[in-house]
Amino acid sequence: MAAEDDGKEYRWETGYEKTWEAIKEDDDGLLDGSVAEIIQKAKRKRMLERKSNARLGMMRHIFVVIDLSECMADQDLKPTRQICTIKLLNAFIEEFFDQNPISQMGIIVMKNKRAEKVSDLTGTAKKHIKALHQVESMPCGGEPSLQNALEMAMRSLKMLPSHASREILIILGSLTTCDPGDINQTINELKEHVIQCSLISLAGEVHICKALAKATGGQFGVVLDDAHFKDLLLLHVEPPPAAAKLEPALIKMGFPHHVTGAVGQSKDAPMLAICMCHLDVPSECKLSAGGYFCPQCNSKYCELPVECKACGLTLASAPHLARSYHHLFPVAPFAELPFNAGDKNDPCYSCQRSYSASKDKNIYKCGRCLQIFCVDCDIFVHETLHMCPGCASHPSTTSQLK
Amino acid sequence: MDELVKKTPKDKKINCKNLHDYLKTLTPDVLDRLYNHPATCLAVFRELPDIAKHYVLRLLFVEQSLPQEVVASWVSQAYSKELLEVVGVLSELRVWQETSLTGGLVGRILNPTFKKNMKIAMNGGQDLKKMFSICYKAILMFRGKPWSLSAQMEADAKPRDIPFLDKYASERWECVLHYMVGSQQQQQEGGISADAVRILLHAGLMKRDEEDGGSTCITKEGFQFLLLDTPAQVWYFLLQYLDTVESRGMDLVSCLAFLFQLSFSTLGKDYSTEGMSESLLVFLQHLREFGLVYQRKRKAGRFYPTRLALDIASGKGNVARNSSHPGFIVVETNYRVYAYTENNLQVALLGIFTELLLRLPNLAVGVLTRDSVRQALRSGITAKQIIDFLRQHAHPEMLKEPPTLPLTIVDQIQLWENERERFTDSEGVLYNQFLSQSDYAVLRDHAKTLDVLIWSNDQRRTVVVTKEGHEEVRKFWKRFSKGSNM
Amino acid sequence: MDTSEDLTESSLLVVVLDVGLSRATTLRNDPALAGQVLEAVIAFSNAHMMMRLKNLLALVACDTETTEWIYPESKADMSDLRQQDGQHELFNELERTVRRKIAQLLKRSAGSNSKGESMLSGALGRALCYVHRMQQEERQLNARVLVVTANGQSVSQYMNFMNVFFTAQKQNVLIDVCCLGPESSLLQQGCDITGGQYFRPPQPQGLLQYLLWVFLPEPLLRNKLALPPRVKVDYRAACFCHRELVDIGFVCSVCLSIVCKFSPICTTCHTLFKTPGTLPIKPKRKKAKLV
Repeated sequence: MAAEDDGKEYRWETGYEKTWEAIKEDDDGLLDGSVAEIIQKAKRKRMLERKSNARLGMMRHIFVVIDLSECMADQDLKPTRQICTIKLLNAFIEEFFDQNPISQMGIIVMKNKRAEKVSDLTGTAKKHIKALHQVESMPCGGEPSLQNALEMAMRSLKMLPSHASREILIILGSLTTCDPGDINQTINELKEHVIQCSLISLAGEVHICKALAKATGGQFGVVLDDAHFKDLLLLHVEPPPAAAKLEPALIKMGFPHHVTGAVGQSKDAPMLAICMCHLDVPSECKLSAGGYFCPQCNSKYCELPVECKACGLTLASAPHLARSYHHLFPVAPFAELPFNAGDKNDPCYSCQRSYSASKDKNIYKCGRCLQIFCVDCDIFVHETLHMCPGCASHPSTTSQLK
Repeated sequence: MDELVKKTPKDKKINCKNLHDYLKTLTPDVLDRLYNHPATCLAVFRELPDIAKHYVLRLLFVEQSLPQEVVASWVSQAYSKELLEVVGVLSELRVWQETSLTGGLVGRILNPTFKKNMKIAMNGGQDLKKMFSICYKAILMFRGKPWSLSAQMEADAKPRDIPFLDKYASERWECVLHYMVGSQQQQQEGGISADAVRILLHAGLMKRDEEDGGSTCITKEGFQFLLLDTPAQVWYFLLQYLDTVESRGMDLVSCLAFLFQLSFSTLGKDYSTEGMSESLLVFLQHLREFGLVYQRKRKAGRFYPTRLALDIASGKGNVARNSSHPGFIVVETNYRVYAYTENNLQVALLGIFTELLLRLPNLAVGVLTRDSVRQALRSGITAKQIIDFLRQHAHPEMLKEPPTLPLTIVDQIQLWENERERFTDSEGVLYNQFLSQSDYAVLRDHAKTLDVLIWSNDQRRTVVVTKEGHEEVRKFWKRFSKGSNM
Repeated sequence: MDTSEDLTESSLLVVVLDVGLSRATTLRNDPALAGQVLEAVIAFSNAHMMMRLKNLLALVACDTETTEWIYPESKADMSDLRQQDGQHELFNELERTVRRKIAQLLKRSAGSNSKGESMLSGALGRALCYVHRMQQEERQLNARVLVVTANGQSVSQYMNFMNVFFTAQKQNVLIDVCCLGPESSLLQQGCDITGGQYFRPPQPQGLLQYLLWVFLPEPLLRNKLALPPRVKVDYRAACFCHRELVDIGFVCSVCLSIVCKFSPICTTCHTLFKTPGTLPIKPKRKKAKLV
């Protein structure tokens, strides 16, 4: 998506960059290596910061607030701030629901001193992508109102049960906010309801934004260019540490069978039914036999995860829960060792690549299974696989549950 | 009543058959003998359509013949068209045979020779027994002929590495091409042997100029040949060579089998000539001349296959860009062609269809004009060949943007070709001098329903039908006229 | 010279072979069978290499103690290989390497007497790292993984398996499973998530024929050939306390572990819960109304 487009843009279309400041020549006077190194170092740094077994807010409820005021039409992010934001948000939403399948999201836009909800809290990515599509064509205008947007998000979030993690993520292009009352009061209220507010500013640092983020335990960042913007956004894909006030709870959840469309002769052969998820859209509403049936009230849904509209039970499948487990049991960072070309080295444990002095400055060692990995596998294991192939290859280290 | 209308084809296009088309032209007897070599079986197997490959593998370990219906049910119904193609190909190449089963059913079974040697290629002769015991017990054992490239030998004192072989192969091959173009470099490098010239002549790529004391010059087909990519050139050349093999008293089957063995050998490894027959050694010398194999000395006792040889039976889709030769041509929308090359051959090739403007030490600039392209078209080259040539040698910079060549240029070259093709001709049989309008109408309508009618004229009562339809129409006419006479 | 042909030029098959097979209960009666499985896998690998010139193959083995990279070797010694006995030399190299290394592995593990699970998830992890590397080296590489195992119910590796499946899904890698032991719903889920084929041969004799039929066709070709239908996958979760499949369960909001009955303390993360709040009761009331 956005990442693919990056390469194709013309030079003059890409964002404001200052990469030359970061680039240094290596010993041979080459630049290539150092760029890759910067990226890898940043990735490793983030990895090291992550603590394992911290309590995380897994059932996330997040409102994304998008500024649509006049200044979002500025062209410092290409082609405009608005379009750049939407493009990156599309990628963010996909990634968010991939990593947090039982979480919910809503979208609010700010324009003309008003806040407007474009999509309500729900767990389906498709709805949000659709809503974003609308936002893309909306004209930018007026001033934003931070307070109105916060109030609106809070009204929905404070109704949630106490175990839910509540977040607001604001993307702000303006340096000002036009509020009806005292925003400090709103901030206090947010604090009371344990709602974490994070801000990404496209313009610059503003005191009230920083104060808001600090008071509620969120993050505040100012983007340098579109790549940095993407980076800041994707930080929010990881679930945040659970706030102290968050009350743990056992949540009742349903795991429906999938009934296939084929009509069998057995007594539990499915009956034709209309699914509950498309009731409000008559054109997509179709009778079919297959689907997921709520084990509590037997209403039918065509995809999971979903909250049953009839009885309020959260419906999910085992893999949905499993998709989030890696946040809770991350692979411990590998130790970085210098690579000496002279040593006799076996190839990388997992990908079987032989190390070469030109490409591998460092090699990486897992602290548990003591196997050695190459840079690529180090990143791949921690970012995608979330499992150390070395540890999983021995009975004594295989289980991540302790 | 009827007469053959025969026209000579206007432009003979050189027809570069693929392996499959070539094998089809061989007699069943030759095919069966070919299948005696595991390497040939593997080469033929790789050339089959994907579904056919699965058919062969599924049947490979089945000992009795299976009813046709069962075999057909392996492909889901939506793809029955592809099934027909598969059945056709397998029968044409005699990979499988029809048998009759009890109850009047038609069965299919793999050609036993093919089957045996496929298994050998796959699992080796020794392990056959073990393999069979897994799949089906108590099966007769065959031992295949070993590959003739197998002799153990000592390591080469001066082994040749891959870059060396690549360089050698391309030098040798370009030498042949240089000879055809007749560019100046030819004299320096000593040209090619009389045998190679004979093959070029036989292939119709060159012809003897009678006026000029029997010196050779390039033909229309030769021009087309030059614009092909290297693997296609090699393959075409070999096909022509194989045509002449039998007249030289060499055995076609053993030559082909040797070629396929070569194509499955490993680049950069040396093989022994031990145990090769006299005629195969001659064949080897010819291959050496074209750069398909490298030999230090004629009697060196070992040889190295080169990339050219490996490409022969590598299956479809392998004609991809040769990475060792980066492209050098830049085409601009203003019809200018820039060729960053010092190679005279390449400049000469470019000169076939462009008007060369200037020549710098590492750059030649030409322009595509209507005249220059028509000149090329007149010598038998097609627009597609020109476009393919430009595309194949496009400069890496050109490859970065999706349409490698500017669309306007591609279209214009095609338009120039279309200008020349206002006539299409097709062979046919003429029927005229009908006695009555109704006779004429009956025949015309019948031809129409058979879908063999090319042209008809009511006033002149003339009908032209395709050559293939002629027999059918003639029979019909005989029956019809008999019936009406009675 | 069709350009569309180029797109499917090379395909990578990674075979994950569980050599702990011989210990699996179902195969214990017939010790020769494990050897036959190996023969069948080698022949199948050759068949894959035969399909196209540019096809690639890798083989990882695992048993109850460890996982072992079998093929290709990183520093393969090709010098002493000669075409022998009619077999294509590449196939010969493959076969000899596989036999040699599997024999080494078996010899090493012969002494130990553990009856645990095979380290299948580790082998799969290594396979995916390899695929990841090959995909970076060559674009447009079709990759898939074939698991041959007799032991698919691995409780302690559940999370590892799930991570492997989701990674494969992200990489667009199919996971095929040929299961010689009892049905494994975990591996079925993996096949379903990644779009692979799950198949359990009715009898392990004649395995090669099953492999050739079901697993040899490339993903693109599979819808053209008639293959066994997709198995129905049970996606119900197993509770962490009794390992039983549940329709309705309770999930810890902190660590997402599943329990079948309410308990005041989470067994996984030791979080203390308050007595059931409003939420779990609410639906029950609604249900009562509905009935």
